[in-house]
Amino acid sequence: MITMKSKYAIPEMMLVSSLLIVSCSKTFLTREPQGSVNTNALSTKTGVNVLLVGAYAALSGQDYDAVAGNIQSLGGGNSWACSPSNWLWGSVAGGDAHKGSDGGDQVTMIPIGTFTVSPGNPLINDKWKAVYEGITRCNNVLKILPLVTDMSPDEITNTKAQARFLRAHYYFELKKLFNNIPWIDENTADLKQANTTDIWPRIEADFKYAYDSLPVSQSDIGRANKWAAGAYLAKIFLYEKKYADAQPLFTDVISMGQTTNGLAYDLTPNFENNRRPSYETSNAEAVFVVEMAANVKTGAIASGNQGDMLNFPYGATAPFGCCGFFAPSIDLVNSFRTDANGLPYLDDYNSHSVANDQGLLSSEPFTTDAGNLDPRLDWTVGRRGIPYLDYGINPGQDWVRAQNYSGPYAPIKNVYWNKDAATDGDNTQWAPGSSINVFIIRFADVLLMAAEAEAQLGNLAAAETYVNRVRDRMISHPEAWVHTYVDATNPSLGFTNTPAANYKINKYPAGAFSTSDYALKAIYFERKLELAMEGYRYFDLSRWGLAAKTINAYFQYEGQFTIDVQGAKFTENKNEYMPIPQSQIDLSSNSGKITLIQNQGYK
Amino acid sequence: MKWRSKGVVHLLAFLFIMFLAKGASAQIKITGKVINSKTLPVASATVMIKGNGSITTTGTAGEFSLLVPDGKTILVISSIGYETIEENISGRKTLVVILSEKSTILNEMVVTGYTSQKKKDLTGAVTVVNVENMTKQPNSQIANQLQGQASGVTVVGSGQPGEAPQIRIRGINTFGNNTPLFIVDGVSTQNISSLNPDDVSSIQVLKDAGSASIYGSRASNGVIIITTKKGRSGKPAVSFDSYTGVQMPRSGNIYNMLNPQEMAQLKYNANANSGTPVTSDLLYGNGTIPVLPDYIVPAGAKEGDPSINPSLYLINPNYTDPNELQHFYHIVKANKSGTDWFHSVIRNAPVQNYNVNVSGGSENAHYMMSANYIDQQGVLLKTYIKRLSVRANTSFNVTKNIVFGENLAYTITNNPKITPLQSYSPIAFTFRSQPIIPVYDIKGNYGGGFGGTGLGDSPNPVAVQNRTANDKGVDNRLIANIYSDVTFLNNFTFHTSFGGVSSSGYAHNFTYPTYENQENTTSNYYNENSNYSNNWTWTNTLTYHKIFGDLHNLQLLAGTEAFSENDETIGGTTYNYLSFNPNYTTLSSGSGTQTNLSTRYSESLQSLFARLDYSYMDKYLLSATIRRDGSSKFVSQFAIFPAVSAGWRISQESFMKRIAWITDLKLRGGWGIMGNQFNLLQDNAYFTFTQNRNSSYYDIGGTNNSIQQGFQVGQIGNPAAKWEKDANVNIGLDATLFKGLISISFDWYKKNITDLLYNPELSGTYGRGVVPYQNIASITNTGIDLTINANKQIGRDFKLNGTFSFTTFKNNISKVTDNTNYFYSGDGRNFGTYFVRNQVGHPVGSFYGYNIAGFWNNATDIANADVIAQKATGNQSAIYQTDEGIGRFKYQDVNKDGQINENDRMIIGNPNPKFNYGLNLGVIYKNFDFSSFFYGVYGNQIWNQVRWWTDFYASFSGGKSKTALYDSWTPEHMNAKAPIAETGGYASSNGSPNSYFIEKGSYLRCKNMMVGYTFTGSMMQKVHIQNFRLYVQVANLFTITKYSGYDPEINSNHENDPKKSVTEFGIDEGAYPSTKQVLIGINVKF
Repeated sequence: MITMKSKYAIPEMMLVSSLLIVSCSKTFLTREPQGSVNTNALSTKTGVNVLLVGAYAALSGQDYDAVAGNIQSLGGGNSWACSPSNWLWGSVAGGDAHKGSDGGDQVTMIPIGTFTVSPGNPLINDKWKAVYEGITRCNNVLKILPLVTDMSPDEITNTKAQARFLRAHYYFELKKLFNNIPWIDENTADLKQANTTDIWPRIEADFKYAYDSLPVSQSDIGRANKWAAGAYLAKIFLYEKKYADAQPLFTDVISMGQTTNGLAYDLTPNFENNRRPSYETSNAEAVFVVEMAANVKTGAIASGNQGDMLNFPYGATAPFGCCGFFAPSIDLVNSFRTDANGLPYLDDYNSHSVANDQGLLSSEPFTTDAGNLDPRLDWTVGRRGIPYLDYGINPGQDWVRAQNYSGPYAPIKNVYWNKDAATDGDNTQWAPGSSINVFIIRFADVLLMAAEAEAQLGNLAAAETYVNRVRDRMISHPEAWVHTYVDATNPSLGFTNTPAANYKINKYPAGAFSTSDYALKAIYFERKLELAMEGYRYFDLSRWGLAAKTINAYFQYEGQFTIDVQGAKFTENKNEYMPIPQSQIDLSSNSGKITLIQNQGYK
Repeated sequence: MKWRSKGVVHLLAFLFIMFLAKGASAQIKITGKVINSKTLPVASATVMIKGNGSITTTGTAGEFSLLVPDGKTILVISSIGYETIEENISGRKTLVVILSEKSTILNEMVVTGYTSQKKKDLTGAVTVVNVENMTKQPNSQIANQLQGQASGVTVVGSGQPGEAPQIRIRGINTFGNNTPLFIVDGVSTQNISSLNPDDVSSIQVLKDAGSASIYGSRASNGVIIITTKKGRSGKPAVSFDSYTGVQMPRSGNIYNMLNPQEMAQLKYNANANSGTPVTSDLLYGNGTIPVLPDYIVPAGAKEGDPSINPSLYLINPNYTDPNELQHFYHIVKANKSGTDWFHSVIRNAPVQNYNVNVSGGSENAHYMMSANYIDQQGVLLKTYIKRLSVRANTSFNVTKNIVFGENLAYTITNNPKITPLQSYSPIAFTFRSQPIIPVYDIKGNYGGGFGGTGLGDSPNPVAVQNRTANDKGVDNRLIANIYSDVTFLNNFTFHTSFGGVSSSGYAHNFTYPTYENQENTTSNYYNENSNYSNNWTWTNTLTYHKIFGDLHNLQLLAGTEAFSENDETIGGTTYNYLSFNPNYTTLSSGSGTQTNLSTRYSESLQSLFARLDYSYMDKYLLSATIRRDGSSKFVSQFAIFPAVSAGWRISQESFMKRIAWITDLKLRGGWGIMGNQFNLLQDNAYFTFTQNRNSSYYDIGGTNNSIQQGFQVGQIGNPAAKWEKDANVNIGLDATLFKGLISISFDWYKKNITDLLYNPELSGTYGRGVVPYQNIASITNTGIDLTINANKQIGRDFKLNGTFSFTTFKNNISKVTDNTNYFYSGDGRNFGTYFVRNQVGHPVGSFYGYNIAGFWNNATDIANADVIAQKATGNQSAIYQTDEGIGRFKYQDVNKDGQINENDRMIIGNPNPKFNYGLNLGVIYKNFDFSSFFYGVYGNQIWNQVRWWTDFYASFSGGKSKTALYDSWTPEHMNAKAPIAETGGYASSNGSPNSYFIEKGSYLRCKNMMVGYTFTGSMMQKVHIQNFRLYVQVANLFTITKYSGYDPEINSNHENDPKKSVTEFGIDEGAYPSTKQVLIGINVKF
């Protein structure tokens, strides 16, 4: 076609070849995404399952930006505000604990604890986004499920029910924190929905479906089963004050419920074992948990309690890298005081305060409290003079970052044991991760919620039985209390049979729950003790209508000792819920019209 | 495809035959002299026999001799700065040739979009950079050298060797990647970091649509055309250039830090102010006045204390068992006089640069080869750039009509850097570390915050940098093209160029466990990664050029272009090494979990374009371009970008001829549309699912130590995305006055960027998938570019020259989305809330927060304000301002609603300068030359985040400033700068972004001062040196500024993320300083 004779051989050749590339443009300009798949590829049994696992993975609310080296939540915000333990929202805001660290650290958390939170606070936005990502993943499972052809009807139902269970859980997370939230499900086309319709019926419907459809046993221990759904549905009824609906369901859950691996629900004899990963498969108390895994991906701890990584004792001699957050309050510790009968002081516990080392250097002498104490205290709070797991005697201020800011105590429930540090701990980040699971619902919680439902319906004896069952675990198992070390200088040698403090705990005597008021007061207090530092308190106080009274009293009392809550104030009919994040309101605008409405008191 | 390879064979055969065609015949010797119009000899002029290739150059007296073959009678004489002439020997044996100087710069050829034009014919806004001035800056990066040298171009860099500066042409054009398109010898790229400045022959900046729109979808950020040096006919010219010197950071107390005694006093003051006075302190004793201890670990120990017995000391710096850390016994002396942390890591650093260049050629072949090596140590420990580049540019006149050539440069770069301007950089650690901590402990291991006694959580910056000593990273980059020009039928030129960039790199680093810090890393791990990137551009153009009847000058060009890019990365990490010996640590040798990763990326562009340049009577100029681009990133792949521009050389009109002082005057104007697609990722149109071990995997089996695969949404797709459009109007004026004494180029422009591709945050209900880019936002930029050149020859020996460039841009966001008129950017730093707000009606990157109205001076102040709030809200318990307190900031009630809340935040600063300017001044007197360069920025603000750390006691327990102790609010000192020192952080002090952090950022810097002397004459000739120049130079001699930080030039901390750097800049959290450099250098020509 081209010969040397042609004077213009080269330009011709080049022109033709350049035209070639024009004609090839269709292929040349097609560049497919790399390293990802489209909807079709996931429309199979395997595909739906990995989407469902992804929906579970959102339970932790965590992510890690490996490129930037940033710890972050799902959606890119503050990791710690999105912890599934709700330590910040449930426990710090509820008065269980101080934010901790010092006044310049994580300053946006400060308004959460002092109820000066504004709609612009980034943490509420981060939590909102992380939870909606969970909802999105559930909806994607439900959207793709109808396209799948290689699943049996049972498999389809099970998958659908798990997705709806998880979605209801995520909505409950939002509901208890923000109250007025938009509902998005797999059929919602416009994702800018209003938040003016109460979503309790929707949450109920999802859990109801899950309760009716889920099997009792599941292939994986981490999956939700029928009884988890039943317990959660009953919890929703309780939040809705539908006590008559809640009561029979709680009864069924308590009498018939079992874990996905077939253990009948019960309290684990050793209170502390709830915090021990090695007891996971034998723990009959685990109704529904967020599964945590340590050392699965060195350099990142997003699968291993990243949300609680700040919450370790801090100081030169403290055996952890960081950070001194989540310091239990003096008020909380005082609550564990018991009277001569081994019962708590329901009203005036702060008049029976527990001796503490506030203002004392570790080098200065201190005598630990000799009075009666509930043995759960020292599995809940690290305090000076008491063995801190197997790390040694808690030295007090040396393990506290700024005592005048956060008080004398250290968190302990989220801390792994030193002897298990290699397996349960994850030290590939600047602060520890762990494989300690986070309980969404544990059986003690179910018993106390059941007691509450019974008490509200006037069944005081039944309520008292449930409360005493919870207390009885500690009473019947003194071997599971904190004991002194064989050798305080070498904790690895183990413990003596001598309790570390003067523990005294008893059941309520028969008939003690003589009035509904007293019964409820006792039940509420039992929840404070049993579930302390587990992220429940603020939500409980809010739903009971006791938040303003209780939290303002807390500020008054605690503010005598630490500067962080001085002058703080809880405003009734406002602070029971967090404000709707301002940026979500702004982003909800549809052609200039805002679809999300701000909560009461924050407008 | 078969016919194409056949074509290549034909081409090679053709070339071979052409090379063989050469003959020989008898010769005669002729001698001559080359002089200029002032009868001065012209040295180094090339004298060549036409059609033969025999060549010589003139000596210093302009003389030459040459053997001329019988019958060959035409000489071609050329020299830089002179018009090339052909001289017919006509049988003469001696002759004198007079070369005439190129009349003015107006006839200078300027390389523009796919063609070159005489400067006088330009109708678009093109800045021709004075490369000689530019390359006087001792810097490895061309991008840095451009600062202040080209009007319309704004460059913000830093003192860190090899750190890429931000370059913006005519303001901020998009919310994302604003880096211009560089065309290096026809190869398109956005990265010119590997280019050797000494290889550059010319740089043109195409700023408006009239000039740049022919680059279509990649033109909106501006186009910078770089041409490298080519060989000229003549005997080999060899030059050697070198400089060496030292960079000298400032001495003194850089951040105005307190000494240890003052630090202790501040602690006591802050605690007293917070109502918790220190009664006893581990470090500072039991009295009311702090006493410095002899030791910080064991805390507070005095000399003679048994606890400091060195035999107790136990530290194994290379421990592998995390539990070992708990058994270490530290003994660290207090540095009572105070550690100067800044100068512990920032010190004098040497720089050296060598460049060799050989060029030459015959009539039919030209070559240029160069080699460059630069070794610039950073003033910060363990940062440097070592770069070796080699280049070979050759071209061959295959026939009279065919030129074939190539340009090829290969670079190997070793450039360890830090990420400055953030709280975790070694520079920030110098103000975050307390002065009582020594650099080393009693046994020479590192000192640090270890001790838990309020020594702070900052790592020891010396330790941090020294631990990087064995880390390695190498980047290899090849940038090359081959091209051919074929002229035919007299008026046609066909040009084809195929070239691209192939780069690869690998890096590994080891993370050591630490023991000296408050917060220690107990793990050790090794990380290695590698990248490969390959892009190519294939351009074909056909040009038709004809002058009709001396009146109509017409040039038509049509072309095609294809661009393709493929990138891949792989990497891995392994933990737990039993030995930290760098020879041992590999990805295979660790014992912990192995992690690996890889990514791939691909994109392509395909284009057709055409251009028309027409002038009538050298007076009326018209230019029109059009380009049709297809991009793989869009579903509707194609778009068209047109532009027209016109010029009127008024000075050619007869009525202007009488005005003698106006040598040339041209009015220009143009309009056009440029595109932008840099921000978009290839996946933008697709809805994808992806997996992520951090966020979508889950331990559903409850194993506690493993996770199962899960999926999440990857990209949320937007198939509707289309091209971003930058409609651009430019009006300009070029004037040459007083016969070239002064030349002025002035432009006014307005850019209206619509359909701006932006990925606004979506409502949380969409989930976390990657938000797609949508065509929603708009930006306008207006501004003025001005360049003034002046040259004056005074007598024979004295020559002055000056270049002034002036750049303004006013950036204004005109739309963000349909629903919002702002978006935040940045990480919020330590406030947890953003303080960079990009809002309609304001420029990109504006600072946002509370404006401080004063202090709360007493309780009555607060009570009165609360009453106002209570009246305004009707709520008896309302307070005026969160955390209001005596001695804290009182914020301005912007919306006058009687209360301070988020609605009272406002734009409190603008990091964009009102203008920037550069001034080059040069003087040549006989053999002496002097040059200087000043660069200035005016009217911008800096967010000084360093002050958050140093001026507020509660902002972590690091080092604090004298302001915090001596100029903070007290009842006795109400006229203070900083608020009261307290132990808590509050929304009314350090807890909210506020105007305390805003400072003026204007500065004027003497960037260069240079004196040289050129040795000439017989002595040099004896050693065969044509030219020997020796110079001394001081860079960054002084900076005039009111900014309180070290350096007012604040780059972004997102060097590798051009998208983020656009909206986050001018934020100082410890800048890598530009330092004074003193250099001595030589230029030798053989």
